[in-house]
Amino acid sequence: MNVGSMPSQDNVLLSATGLVKTLGGNRVVDGIDLTCHSGEVLGLLGPNGAGKTTTLRMCYGFLRPDAGQIRIAGHDLAYDGDRARRALGVCTQDNTYDSDFTVRGNLVQTGRYYRPRQADLSQRIDALIDQFGLAPFANQKPDTLSGGFKRRLMIARAVVHQPRVVFLDEPTTGLDPQARVAVWELIHSLRAEGLAVVLTTHYMDEAERLSDRLQVLQAGRVRAGGLSRAVLGDVVGEHVVLLGAQSSQVSEVIEWFKNSGAKPAQVLAHWHIPMDARGLAAFVAAFPDLQYEVRPPTLDDLFLALAHETT
Amino acid sequence: MTNPYSPAFAWQSRAILGRHLRVHLRNWYTVTLPPVCEPLILLLAFGVGLGRQIGTLSWHGQSVDYLHYLAPGILAYTAFMSSFFQSLFAAYIRMHFQKSWEGQLTTQVRLEHVVWGEALWAATLATAYAALVCVVLAGFGLANILTLHWEWLPFSIPLLFLAALAFSAIGLYFTAILPSIDHMTLPFFLVIMPIGFASSTYFPFPDVPFLSTAVRFNPLHQLAEGLRALLLTGEVTGHLTCAAGLCGLLLIIMIPIDMRLLRRRVFGDR
Repeated sequence: MNVGSMPSQDNVLLSATGLVKTLGGNRVVDGIDLTCHSGEVLGLLGPNGAGKTTTLRMCYGFLRPDAGQIRIAGHDLAYDGDRARRALGVCTQDNTYDSDFTVRGNLVQTGRYYRPRQADLSQRIDALIDQFGLAPFANQKPDTLSGGFKRRLMIARAVVHQPRVVFLDEPTTGLDPQARVAVWELIHSLRAEGLAVVLTTHYMDEAERLSDRLQVLQAGRVRAGGLSRAVLGDVVGEHVVLLGAQSSQVSEVIEWFKNSGAKPAQVLAHWHIPMDARGLAAFVAAFPDLQYEVRPPTLDDLFLALAHETT
Repeated sequence: MTNPYSPAFAWQSRAILGRHLRVHLRNWYTVTLPPVCEPLILLLAFGVGLGRQIGTLSWHGQSVDYLHYLAPGILAYTAFMSSFFQSLFAAYIRMHFQKSWEGQLTTQVRLEHVVWGEALWAATLATAYAALVCVVLAGFGLANILTLHWEWLPFSIPLLFLAALAFSAIGLYFTAILPSIDHMTLPFFLVIMPIGFASSTYFPFPDVPFLSTAVRFNPLHQLAEGLRALLLTGEVTGHLTCAAGLCGLLLIIMIPIDMRLLRRRVFGDR
């Protein structure tokens, strides 16, 4: 987690306010606000169906919001769409590269979908191919690449025209650890170049390592936002008690937790019980001889808590 | 949605057209073979082979041998089939399986540009194929098997482009509504066969009052008959005007429908 000073308002590159979207009769996004600044990575988190991808799709102009306003680098996406779209790049969840072209051909062709054209497109593509480690595959069709290199190509396509805002929708899903780390490094380099990066992911370690700020979505709304610690404090609490599911007193303890308003969740062999300091003190007093573990909350606990709230 | 026709002239639509052209030209040696061989085989098998059995046909009171009857029809049919096939099958694959539409739609290209890009490409390809048919016909002419009013051949190209553009709009309609590739046979039965057989392309349409009236609304029939009159007699007939009018009307009606349905299909949106 990159805990730095909060960016100032004058370098806001993405500003989305009051986004609403109904798909198939369901209100998938229900009043979401987002901002992302130059040199910042905003992590969008949430369980499946929380509205992450729909929010992202509205922000990069794929879907039209039913209500709300989106500004990219100062350009209103609804009224100044061409300029707004020129200033953004997208790495979609699926690999949507053009399988009829080689790796280099993909970058060239993507460059042709933007005006004004990148002045030094050819040099830009050479530089990207080097930066993204794609040189050995430059003249191969993307379908022949491994999953990690396909994602690298997708990110390279997203930035070929030198956008100011980049949207990365689950950029490392399905990759092995080594490939994930390679993609993380690329995302770091994009931030270092001053781009505003909006990232969705299911990987908690990824969100924590890459994001300067987190925004947690749940059922189409922003459930919590800010630095990772603040988000965890808001949604989960200060502590998590881990109690073995095989413990002899477990049913009695869980009942006690439920009565005290806590929300225990069982994961494999352990019960996870998020709670604040006061609750923890009461628990310690109630079960002085019980064996358990207490640790700070993680983003995994956040997901458990959200899933619990949803059900 | 704003004016659905103006994106036809936008640079984004040309960028999509250029993309398809680049992919196509890379395989020019294999993709050129069918449009050259198909009319050649049809003209030899039906025009020359079957034509010897048929002898002459009566066409608007004139006696015309079958090869001469068939040649202009094949020109019209090529524009129809190539365009329809490209905008239906190839576009469906790009949209559904290759996901190249989605990749394009995350750039400055919008859906209306993708739709027009596909339509323009289908029409361009079909016109190029029709031009290759013209070359094949010219070969028959050099061999003294076929005599046409050759001077009119270049003038038929713009009309063939317009017709191909209109047929591509029908193809895109099915691209938008077909639930899966397994349903691709439906437009062949519902569109290609009725329009194709009721078009006077391969044989004169029977003089049945009701059918004769209905066939007037078939743009392929008007196109085939117009080209036939142009190339066999050198006359510009009302069929050409009707073909242009019907194709223009088809475009005006179908393009907004295509865009609406494809928006729903691609975005799951209103």
